[in-house]
Amino acid sequence: MAKFRDLDIAEEAAAEAYARAARSWRDGTLPARPDAWLYRVAERVALDMLGRRRTAARLAPEPPPPVPSAEDLALDDDRLIPDERLRLIFVCCHPAVAVEARAALTLRLVCGLTTAEIASAFLLPEPTLAQRLVRAKRKIAQAGVPFEIPGPAAWPERLDAVLSTLEVAYAKAHEDAAGASPHAGYATEILGLTRVLAELLPAEAEVLSLAALVRYAEARRPARLDADGASVPLAEQDPALWRRDLITAAEGLLIRAAALAPSGPRALQAAIQAAWCARASLAQPAPWRRVLRLYDALLSLRDDPVVRLNRAVALAEVAGPEAAWAELALLDAAALARFIPYHAVRAELLRRLDRRTEAGDAYQAALDLAPPLAERRWLARQMAAL
Amino acid sequence: MHYALLIYEDEAVYGDEPDSPALQAIIGQHMAFAGSLGAARVGGAGLAGTTSATTVRTTGGVKTVHDGPYAETKEQLGGFYLIEAPDLDSALAIARRVPLAANGAVEVRPLLEVPT
Repeated sequence: MAKFRDLDIAEEAAAEAYARAARSWRDGTLPARPDAWLYRVAERVALDMLGRRRTAARLAPEPPPPVPSAEDLALDDDRLIPDERLRLIFVCCHPAVAVEARAALTLRLVCGLTTAEIASAFLLPEPTLAQRLVRAKRKIAQAGVPFEIPGPAAWPERLDAVLSTLEVAYAKAHEDAAGASPHAGYATEILGLTRVLAELLPAEAEVLSLAALVRYAEARRPARLDADGASVPLAEQDPALWRRDLITAAEGLLIRAAALAPSGPRALQAAIQAAWCARASLAQPAPWRRVLRLYDALLSLRDDPVVRLNRAVALAEVAGPEAAWAELALLDAAALARFIPYHAVRAELLRRLDRRTEAGDAYQAALDLAPPLAERRWLARQMAAL
Repeated sequence: MHYALLIYEDEAVYGDEPDSPALQAIIGQHMAFAGSLGAARVGGAGLAGTTSATTVRTTGGVKTVHDGPYAETKEQLGGFYLIEAPDLDSALAIARRVPLAANGAVEVRPLLEVPT
Protein backbone atom coordinates (compact mmCIF):
# COMPACT_ATOMS: atom_id res chain seq x y z
CA MET A 1 0.00 0.00 0.00
CA ALA A 2 3.08 2.14 0.26
CA LYS A 3 2.75 2.82 -3.41
CA PHE A 4 -0.30 4.99 -2.87
CA ARG A 5 1.65 7.28 -0.51
CA ASP A 6 -1.47 7.93 1.54
CA LEU A 7 -1.64 6.46 5.02
CA ASP A 8 -5.38 6.89 5.42
CA ILE A 9 -6.04 4.96 2.25
CA ALA A 10 -3.51 2.33 3.31
CA GLU A 11 -5.19 2.04 6.70
CA GLU A 12 -8.72 1.68 5.32
CA ALA A 13 -7.61 -0.69 2.58
CA ALA A 14 -5.78 -2.97 5.03
CA ALA A 15 -8.75 -2.98 7.41
CA GLU A 16 -11.16 -3.78 4.57
CA ALA A 17 -8.94 -6.58 3.26
CA TYR A 18 -8.81 -8.22 6.70
CA ALA A 19 -12.56 -7.80 7.13
CA ARG A 20 -13.15 -9.53 3.78
CA ALA A 21 -10.69 -12.24 4.78
CA ALA A 22 -12.61 -12.77 8.01
CA ARG A 23 -15.84 -13.20 6.04
CA SER A 24 -14.60 -15.38 3.23
CA TRP A 25 -12.19 -17.54 5.29
CA ARG A 26 -14.76 -18.26 7.95
CA ASP A 27 -15.48 -21.72 6.52
CA GLY A 28 -11.85 -22.63 7.20
CA THR A 29 -10.62 -22.72 3.60
CA LEU A 30 -7.58 -20.49 3.32
CA PRO A 31 -6.38 -19.38 -0.11
CA ALA A 32 -3.10 -20.98 -1.17
CA ARG A 33 -1.26 -17.74 -0.39
CA PRO A 34 -3.16 -15.72 2.20
CA ASP A 35 -0.63 -12.90 2.15
CA ALA A 36 -0.93 -12.45 -1.60
CA TRP A 37 -4.70 -12.62 -1.34
CA LEU A 38 -4.75 -9.90 1.31
CA TYR A 39 -2.34 -7.73 -0.62
CA ARG A 40 -4.40 -8.04 -3.79
CA VAL A 41 -7.69 -7.24 -2.05
CA ALA A 42 -6.16 -4.27 -0.20
CA GLU A 43 -4.64 -2.96 -3.42
CA ARG A 44 -7.99 -3.13 -5.19
CA VAL A 45 -9.78 -1.46 -2.31
CA ALA A 46 -7.18 1.33 -2.37
CA LEU A 47 -7.46 1.78 -6.13
CA ASP A 48 -11.20 1.78 -5.80
CA MET A 49 -11.07 4.43 -3.09
CA LEU A 50 -8.73 6.61 -5.14
CA GLY A 51 -10.97 6.20 -8.16
CA ARG A 52 -14.01 7.12 -6.15
CA ARG A 53 -12.32 10.21 -4.82
CA ARG A 54 -11.55 11.37 -8.34
CA THR A 55 -14.90 10.61 -9.87
CA ALA A 56 -17.22 11.18 -6.95
CA ALA A 57 -18.57 14.34 -8.50
CA ARG A 58 -19.61 12.91 -11.82
CA LEU A 59 -20.04 9.15 -11.62
CA ALA A 60 -22.14 6.70 -9.64
CA PRO A 61 -20.09 4.48 -7.26
CA GLU A 62 -18.53 1.44 -8.91
CA PRO A 63 -19.44 -2.11 -7.88
CA PRO A 64 -17.12 -3.57 -5.21
CA PRO A 65 -13.82 -4.90 -6.60
CA PRO A 66 -13.83 -8.64 -7.36
CA VAL A 67 -11.99 -11.14 -5.20
CA PRO A 68 -8.67 -11.97 -6.91
CA SER A 69 -8.58 -15.20 -8.88
CA ALA A 70 -5.86 -17.86 -8.83
CA GLU A 71 -4.61 -16.42 -12.14
CA ASP A 72 -4.20 -12.99 -10.59
CA LEU A 73 -2.10 -14.44 -7.81
CA ALA A 74 0.01 -16.45 -10.24
CA LEU A 75 0.82 -13.20 -12.05
CA ASP A 76 2.14 -11.61 -8.87
CA ASP A 77 5.86 -11.12 -8.63
CA ASP A 78 6.93 -13.23 -5.67
CA ARG A 79 9.17 -10.59 -4.19
CA LEU A 80 6.78 -7.69 -4.60
CA ILE A 81 4.54 -8.61 -1.72
CA PRO A 82 7.02 -8.86 1.14
CA ASP A 83 8.89 -5.83 -0.18
CA GLU A 84 5.73 -3.72 -0.21
CA ARG A 85 4.96 -4.71 3.36
CA LEU A 86 8.54 -4.16 4.49
CA ARG A 87 8.54 -0.77 2.83
CA LEU A 88 5.45 0.23 4.78
CA ILE A 89 6.97 -1.22 7.96
CA PHE A 90 10.08 0.88 7.47
CA VAL A 91 7.97 4.03 6.93
CA CYS A 92 6.13 3.35 10.18
CA CYS A 93 9.42 2.68 11.99
CA HIS A 94 11.17 5.83 10.71
CA PRO A 95 13.19 7.50 13.49
CA ALA A 96 11.13 10.67 12.90
CA VAL A 97 8.09 8.77 14.21
CA ALA A 98 7.75 8.74 18.02
CA VAL A 99 9.33 5.54 19.40
CA GLU A 100 6.20 4.51 21.26
CA ALA A 101 4.04 4.89 18.16
CA ARG A 102 6.13 2.92 15.65
CA ALA A 103 5.08 -0.61 16.41
CA ALA A 104 1.46 0.40 16.95
CA LEU A 105 1.32 2.20 13.63
CA THR A 106 2.80 -0.78 11.79
CA LEU A 107 0.31 -3.15 13.36
CA ARG A 108 -2.53 -0.87 12.33
CA LEU A 109 -1.38 -0.20 8.76
CA VAL A 110 0.45 -3.36 7.78
CA CYS A 111 -1.38 -6.01 9.78
CA GLY A 112 -4.79 -4.34 10.08
CA LEU A 113 -5.15 -4.83 13.86
CA THR A 114 -7.82 -2.63 15.44
CA THR A 115 -6.80 0.09 17.90
CA ALA A 116 -8.50 -1.94 20.65
CA GLU A 117 -6.35 -5.00 19.84
CA ILE A 118 -3.14 -2.99 19.67
CA ALA A 119 -3.99 -1.21 22.92
CA SER A 120 -4.48 -4.54 24.66
CA ALA A 121 -1.22 -5.92 23.21
CA PHE A 122 0.67 -2.91 24.62
CA LEU A 123 -1.27 -2.88 27.91
CA LEU A 124 -2.45 0.68 27.20
CA PRO A 125 -5.83 2.43 27.39
CA GLU A 126 -7.38 2.61 23.93
CA PRO A 127 -7.77 6.43 23.76
CA THR A 128 -4.04 6.86 24.52
CA LEU A 129 -3.13 4.46 21.76
CA ALA A 130 -5.57 6.04 19.30
CA GLN A 131 -4.09 9.46 19.97
CA ARG A 132 -0.55 8.18 19.37
CA LEU A 133 -1.63 6.78 16.01
CA VAL A 134 -3.22 10.08 14.96
CA ARG A 135 -0.10 12.04 15.94
CA ALA A 136 2.23 9.60 14.18
CA LYS A 137 0.24 9.68 10.94
CA ARG A 138 0.17 13.47 11.04
CA LYS A 139 3.94 13.61 11.60
CA ILE A 140 4.63 11.28 8.67
CA ALA A 141 2.45 13.34 6.35
CA GLN A 142 3.67 16.78 7.48
CA ALA A 143 7.38 16.05 7.78
CA GLY A 144 7.53 14.34 4.39
CA VAL A 145 8.76 10.93 5.57
CA PRO A 146 9.65 9.09 2.35
CA PHE A 147 7.87 5.84 1.38
CA GLU A 148 11.08 4.01 0.60
CA ILE A 149 13.07 1.13 2.05
CA PRO A 150 16.06 3.05 3.41
CA GLY A 151 19.63 2.34 2.37
CA PRO A 152 21.61 -0.15 4.51
CA ALA A 153 23.26 2.70 6.48
CA ALA A 154 19.89 3.60 8.02
CA TRP A 155 18.90 0.05 8.94
CA PRO A 156 20.43 -0.33 12.39
CA GLU A 157 18.58 2.67 13.85
CA ARG A 158 15.26 1.41 12.53
CA LEU A 159 15.74 -2.28 13.02
CA ASP A 160 14.80 -2.58 16.67
CA ALA A 161 11.42 -0.97 16.05
CA VAL A 162 10.84 -3.25 13.07
CA LEU A 163 11.69 -6.33 15.13
CA SER A 164 9.52 -5.25 18.09
CA THR A 165 6.66 -4.72 15.69
CA LEU A 166 6.96 -8.17 14.20
CA GLU A 167 7.25 -9.63 17.72
CA VAL A 168 3.99 -8.03 18.87
CA ALA A 169 2.25 -8.99 15.63
CA TYR A 170 3.37 -12.59 16.05
CA ALA A 171 2.26 -12.65 19.69
CA LYS A 172 -1.19 -11.66 18.43
CA ALA A 173 -1.18 -14.46 15.85
CA HIS A 174 0.14 -16.99 18.35
CA GLU A 175 -2.47 -16.16 20.99
CA ASP A 176 -5.14 -18.08 19.05
CA ALA A 177 -4.18 -21.76 19.09
CA ALA A 178 -6.94 -22.74 16.67
CA GLY A 179 -5.91 -20.14 14.10
CA ALA A 180 -9.60 -19.33 13.66
CA SER A 181 -9.50 -15.58 14.28
CA PRO A 182 -9.47 -13.00 11.48
CA HIS A 183 -5.79 -12.51 12.27
CA ALA A 184 -4.79 -16.13 11.69
CA GLY A 185 -3.08 -15.05 8.46
CA TYR A 186 -0.45 -13.12 10.46
CA ALA A 187 1.43 -16.23 11.42
CA THR A 188 2.11 -17.07 7.77
CA GLU A 189 2.81 -13.42 7.00
CA ILE A 190 5.29 -13.09 9.81
CA LEU A 191 7.08 -16.28 8.77
CA GLY A 192 7.40 -14.65 5.35
CA LEU A 193 8.41 -11.20 6.60
CA THR A 194 11.06 -12.58 8.96
CA ARG A 195 12.43 -14.74 6.13
CA VAL A 196 12.74 -11.70 3.87
CA LEU A 197 14.39 -9.68 6.66
CA ALA A 198 16.83 -12.50 7.39
CA GLU A 199 17.73 -12.62 3.68
CA LEU A 200 18.21 -8.84 3.53
CA LEU A 201 20.19 -8.66 6.79
CA PRO A 202 22.04 -11.98 7.12
CA ALA A 203 24.57 -10.50 9.59
CA GLU A 204 22.08 -9.14 12.15
CA ALA A 205 21.85 -11.63 15.03
CA GLU A 206 18.54 -10.31 16.35
CA VAL A 207 16.94 -10.57 12.92
CA LEU A 208 17.98 -14.22 12.63
CA SER A 209 16.91 -14.84 16.22
CA LEU A 210 13.44 -13.45 15.64
CA ALA A 211 13.09 -15.55 12.48
CA ALA A 212 14.08 -18.58 14.60
CA LEU A 213 11.72 -17.61 17.42
CA VAL A 214 8.61 -17.47 15.23
CA ARG A 215 9.56 -20.74 13.52
CA TYR A 216 9.96 -22.59 16.82
CA ALA A 217 6.67 -21.20 18.08
CA GLU A 218 4.82 -21.91 14.85
CA ALA A 219 6.25 -25.45 14.75
CA ARG A 220 4.14 -26.32 17.77
CA ARG A 221 0.84 -25.19 16.27
CA PRO A 222 -0.34 -28.72 15.25
CA ALA A 223 -0.05 -29.81 18.91
CA ARG A 224 -1.81 -26.83 20.44
CA LEU A 225 -5.41 -28.08 20.15
CA ASP A 226 -6.86 -31.21 21.76
CA ALA A 227 -9.71 -33.34 20.40
CA ASP A 228 -12.26 -31.03 22.01
CA GLY A 229 -10.77 -27.92 20.41
CA ALA A 230 -9.34 -26.67 23.71
CA SER A 231 -5.79 -25.33 23.84
CA VAL A 232 -3.08 -27.64 25.21
CA PRO A 233 -0.50 -26.15 27.63
CA LEU A 234 3.07 -26.27 26.32
CA ALA A 235 4.29 -28.89 28.81
CA GLU A 236 1.45 -31.25 27.82
CA GLN A 237 1.88 -30.97 24.05
CA ASP A 238 2.95 -34.11 22.20
CA PRO A 239 6.33 -33.35 20.58
CA ALA A 240 5.59 -35.94 17.90
CA LEU A 241 3.05 -33.50 16.44
CA TRP A 242 5.51 -30.59 16.18
CA ARG A 243 6.62 -29.58 12.70
CA ARG A 244 10.19 -30.84 12.21
CA ASP A 245 10.73 -28.71 9.07
CA LEU A 246 10.20 -25.48 11.00
CA ILE A 247 12.26 -26.67 13.98
CA THR A 248 15.18 -27.54 11.69
CA ALA A 249 14.94 -24.14 9.97
CA ALA A 250 14.84 -22.41 13.37
CA GLU A 251 17.89 -24.30 14.62
CA GLY A 252 19.88 -23.25 11.56
CA LEU A 253 18.96 -19.60 12.10
CA LEU A 254 19.71 -19.66 15.81
CA ILE A 255 23.12 -21.27 15.28
CA ARG A 256 23.99 -18.57 12.72
CA ALA A 257 22.80 -15.86 15.16
CA ALA A 258 24.90 -17.29 18.01
CA ALA A 259 28.01 -17.15 15.81
CA LEU A 260 27.43 -13.44 15.11
CA ALA A 261 26.91 -11.83 18.51
CA PRO A 262 26.29 -12.46 22.23
CA SER A 263 22.68 -13.36 22.93
CA GLY A 264 20.28 -10.43 22.72
CA PRO A 265 16.70 -10.55 24.02
CA ARG A 266 15.34 -12.22 20.90
CA ALA A 267 18.09 -14.83 20.88
CA LEU A 268 17.21 -15.69 24.50
CA GLN A 269 13.52 -15.95 23.67
CA ALA A 270 14.38 -18.20 20.75
CA ALA A 271 16.58 -20.26 23.07
CA ILE A 272 13.61 -20.73 25.41
CA GLN A 273 11.56 -22.02 22.48
CA ALA A 274 14.50 -24.20 21.45
CA ALA A 275 14.64 -25.74 24.93
CA TRP A 276 11.04 -26.83 24.51
CA CYS A 277 11.47 -28.01 20.95
CA ALA A 278 14.41 -30.21 22.02
CA ARG A 279 11.95 -32.37 23.95
CA ALA A 280 11.58 -35.64 22.03
CA SER A 281 8.52 -37.04 23.80
CA LEU A 282 6.21 -36.51 26.75
CA ALA A 283 8.18 -39.23 28.59
CA GLN A 284 11.12 -36.82 28.90
CA PRO A 285 10.95 -34.32 31.76
CA ALA A 286 9.88 -30.80 30.76
CA PRO A 287 12.87 -28.42 30.53
CA TRP A 288 11.66 -26.06 33.28
CA ARG A 289 15.07 -25.53 34.93
CA ARG A 290 16.72 -24.51 31.69
CA VAL A 291 13.73 -22.33 30.80
CA LEU A 292 13.92 -20.60 34.19
CA ARG A 293 17.65 -19.89 33.75
CA LEU A 294 16.96 -18.41 30.31
CA TYR A 295 14.18 -16.22 31.72
CA ASP A 296 16.62 -15.01 34.42
CA ALA A 297 19.03 -13.99 31.66
CA LEU A 298 16.23 -12.39 29.63
CA LEU A 299 15.08 -10.42 32.65
CA SER A 300 18.51 -8.80 32.94
CA LEU A 301 18.17 -7.53 29.34
CA ARG A 302 14.48 -6.81 29.21
CA ASP A 303 12.70 -6.23 32.48
CA ASP A 304 9.03 -6.01 31.63
CA PRO A 305 5.86 -7.42 33.24
CA VAL A 306 5.31 -10.01 30.51
CA VAL A 307 8.81 -11.48 30.95
CA ARG A 308 8.28 -11.53 34.73
CA LEU A 309 4.95 -13.29 34.31
CA ASN A 310 6.48 -15.97 32.07
CA ARG A 311 9.37 -16.40 34.44
CA ALA A 312 6.92 -16.92 37.32
CA VAL A 313 5.33 -19.81 35.39
CA ALA A 314 8.73 -21.55 35.17
CA LEU A 315 9.50 -20.69 38.78
CA ALA A 316 6.28 -22.39 39.90
CA GLU A 317 7.51 -25.65 38.33
CA VAL A 318 11.03 -25.41 39.74
CA ALA A 319 10.45 -23.86 43.19
CA GLY A 320 6.74 -24.36 43.78
CA PRO A 321 3.61 -22.22 43.51
CA GLU A 322 4.34 -20.21 46.69
CA ALA A 323 7.56 -18.77 45.25
CA ALA A 324 5.82 -17.95 41.98
CA TRP A 325 2.91 -16.32 43.81
CA ALA A 326 5.33 -14.07 45.69
CA GLU A 327 6.83 -12.95 42.35
CA LEU A 328 3.40 -12.29 40.91
CA ALA A 329 2.54 -10.08 43.85
CA LEU A 330 5.33 -7.71 42.76
CA LEU A 331 3.74 -7.05 39.36
CA ASP A 332 1.65 -3.97 38.58
CA ALA A 333 -1.83 -5.53 38.71
CA ALA A 334 -3.52 -2.46 37.24
CA ALA A 335 -1.27 -2.43 34.17
CA LEU A 336 -1.94 -6.15 33.58
CA ALA A 337 -5.67 -6.00 34.32
CA ARG A 338 -6.62 -6.53 30.66
CA PHE A 339 -3.90 -9.08 29.90
CA ILE A 340 -5.53 -12.53 29.67
CA PRO A 341 -2.41 -14.60 30.50
CA TYR A 342 -1.98 -12.65 33.75
CA HIS A 343 -5.36 -13.85 35.02
CA ALA A 344 -4.81 -17.37 33.67
CA VAL A 345 -1.44 -17.66 35.47
CA ARG A 346 -2.95 -16.27 38.70
CA ALA A 347 -5.80 -18.76 38.43
CA GLU A 348 -3.45 -21.72 37.97
CA LEU A 349 -1.26 -20.69 40.91
CA LEU A 350 -4.27 -20.11 43.16
CA ARG A 351 -5.65 -23.54 42.17
CA ARG A 352 -2.36 -25.19 43.09
CA LEU A 353 -2.28 -23.25 46.37
CA ASP A 354 -5.75 -24.70 47.02
CA ARG A 355 -7.33 -21.22 47.19
CA ARG A 356 -10.29 -22.36 45.11
CA THR A 357 -12.68 -19.43 45.42
CA GLU A 358 -9.99 -16.94 44.39
CA ALA A 359 -8.89 -19.31 41.60
CA GLY A 360 -12.47 -19.38 40.31
CA ASP A 361 -12.59 -15.58 40.31
CA ALA A 362 -9.30 -15.40 38.40
CA TYR A 363 -10.48 -17.90 35.75
CA GLN A 364 -13.65 -15.83 35.41
CA ALA A 365 -11.57 -12.62 35.04
CA ALA A 366 -9.66 -14.28 32.19
CA LEU A 367 -12.89 -15.47 30.54
CA ASP A 368 -14.44 -12.00 30.88
CA LEU A 369 -11.69 -10.64 28.62
CA ALA A 370 -13.06 -12.73 25.72
CA PRO A 371 -10.05 -14.96 24.93
CA PRO A 372 -9.93 -16.92 21.65
CA LEU A 373 -12.25 -19.95 21.60
CA ALA A 374 -9.58 -22.62 22.27
CA GLU A 375 -8.26 -20.69 25.26
CA ARG A 376 -11.83 -20.14 26.48
CA ARG A 377 -12.53 -23.88 26.37
CA TRP A 378 -9.38 -24.66 28.33
CA LEU A 379 -10.10 -21.98 30.96
CA ALA A 380 -13.72 -23.14 31.35
CA ARG A 381 -12.56 -26.73 31.81
CA GLN A 382 -9.98 -25.77 34.45
CA MET A 383 -12.61 -23.70 36.22
CA ALA A 384 -15.16 -26.52 36.18
CA ALA A 385 -12.57 -28.92 37.63
CA LEU A 386 -12.03 -26.79 40.75
CA MET B 1 9.35 20.24 0.01
CA HIS B 2 10.96 23.14 1.82
CA TYR B 3 12.61 22.63 5.18
CA ALA B 4 14.19 24.92 7.75
CA LEU B 5 17.35 23.59 9.40
CA LEU B 6 17.58 25.39 12.75
CA ILE B 7 21.03 25.29 14.29
CA TYR B 8 21.33 25.16 18.07
CA GLU B 9 24.71 25.46 19.73
CA ASP B 10 26.22 26.88 22.89
CA GLU B 11 27.21 30.30 21.58
CA ALA B 12 29.82 30.63 24.35
CA VAL B 13 32.16 28.39 22.31
CA TYR B 14 32.55 31.23 19.81
CA GLY B 15 33.52 33.84 22.41
CA ASP B 16 32.40 37.49 22.38
CA GLU B 17 34.67 38.90 19.70
CA PRO B 18 33.43 38.94 16.09
CA ASP B 19 36.91 38.01 14.86
CA SER B 20 37.44 35.14 17.32
CA PRO B 21 39.26 32.23 15.62
CA ALA B 22 36.41 29.83 16.52
CA LEU B 23 33.83 32.08 14.84
CA GLN B 24 35.97 32.66 11.78
CA ALA B 25 36.54 28.94 11.47
CA ILE B 26 32.86 28.02 11.62
CA ILE B 27 31.94 30.80 9.18
CA GLY B 28 34.44 29.35 6.76
CA GLN B 29 32.88 25.91 7.18
CA HIS B 30 29.39 27.30 6.63
CA MET B 31 30.43 29.08 3.46
CA ALA B 32 31.84 25.84 2.10
CA PHE B 33 28.76 23.90 3.22
CA ALA B 34 26.37 26.47 1.73
CA GLY B 35 28.26 26.28 -1.54
CA SER B 36 28.05 22.49 -1.55
CA LEU B 37 24.25 22.65 -1.26
CA GLY B 38 23.88 24.19 -4.71
CA ALA B 39 20.25 24.60 -5.76
CA ALA B 40 19.04 22.82 -2.60
CA ARG B 41 19.85 25.98 -0.63
CA VAL B 42 16.94 28.41 -0.72
CA GLY B 43 18.13 30.81 1.95
CA GLY B 44 19.52 31.13 5.44
CA ALA B 45 21.62 33.25 7.73
CA GLY B 46 23.73 33.21 10.83
CA LEU B 47 22.32 35.10 13.79
CA ALA B 48 24.17 37.51 16.08
CA GLY B 49 24.50 36.33 19.68
CA THR B 50 21.56 36.21 22.09
CA THR B 51 22.92 39.24 23.97
CA SER B 52 21.65 41.19 20.94
CA ALA B 53 18.19 39.59 21.08
CA THR B 54 15.00 41.40 22.00
CA THR B 55 11.71 39.57 22.40
CA VAL B 56 8.18 40.93 21.91
CA ARG B 57 5.88 38.91 24.10
CA THR B 58 2.09 38.86 23.87
CA THR B 59 0.18 37.87 26.97
CA GLY B 60 -3.60 38.19 27.00
CA GLY B 61 -3.43 40.56 24.05
CA VAL B 62 -0.91 42.84 25.78
CA LYS B 63 2.42 43.19 24.01
CA THR B 64 5.56 43.76 26.05
CA VAL B 65 9.16 44.05 24.96
CA HIS B 66 11.85 42.11 26.80
CA ASP B 67 15.59 42.03 26.67
CA GLY B 68 17.01 38.62 25.71
CA PRO B 69 16.05 35.59 23.61
CA TYR B 70 12.71 33.75 23.74
CA ALA B 71 14.11 31.00 25.94
CA GLU B 72 17.15 30.95 28.19
CA THR B 73 18.67 27.58 27.43
CA LYS B 74 22.00 25.87 27.37
CA GLU B 75 22.01 25.96 23.57
CA GLN B 76 20.73 28.82 21.47
CA LEU B 77 19.36 29.27 17.97
CA GLY B 78 22.44 30.51 16.14
CA GLY B 79 21.44 30.36 12.51
CA PHE B 80 19.29 28.62 9.96
CA TYR B 81 19.16 27.32 6.44
CA LEU B 82 16.13 27.12 4.19
CA ILE B 83 16.52 24.17 1.88
CA GLU B 84 14.55 22.34 -0.76
CA ALA B 85 14.56 18.55 -0.49
CA PRO B 86 12.36 15.82 -1.98
CA ASP B 87 11.61 14.24 1.41
CA LEU B 88 12.58 14.10 5.08
CA ASP B 89 15.42 11.60 4.57
CA SER B 90 17.09 13.93 2.05
CA ALA B 91 16.63 16.86 4.45
CA LEU B 92 18.07 14.79 7.33
CA ALA B 93 21.05 13.84 5.17
CA ILE B 94 21.77 17.56 4.66
CA ALA B 95 21.13 18.32 8.35
CA ARG B 96 23.78 15.77 9.32
CA ARG B 97 26.33 17.76 7.30
CA VAL B 98 25.62 21.15 8.92
CA PRO B 99 28.88 22.32 10.53
CA LEU B 100 28.87 22.52 14.34
CA ALA B 101 31.77 23.67 16.52
CA ALA B 102 31.28 20.89 19.07
CA ASN B 103 27.99 19.79 20.63
CA GLY B 104 24.70 21.03 19.31
CA ALA B 105 21.58 20.12 17.41
CA VAL B 106 19.96 20.82 14.09
CA GLU B 107 16.18 20.85 14.15
CA VAL B 108 14.55 19.97 10.84
CA ARG B 109 11.15 21.56 10.27
CA PRO B 110 9.08 21.44 7.10
CA LEU B 111 7.80 24.86 6.04
CA LEU B 112 4.05 25.31 5.90
CA GLU B 113 2.93 25.08 2.32
CA VAL B 114 0.76 28.15 1.90
CA PRO B 115 -1.55 27.91 -1.12
CA THR B 116 -0.96 30.77 -3.52
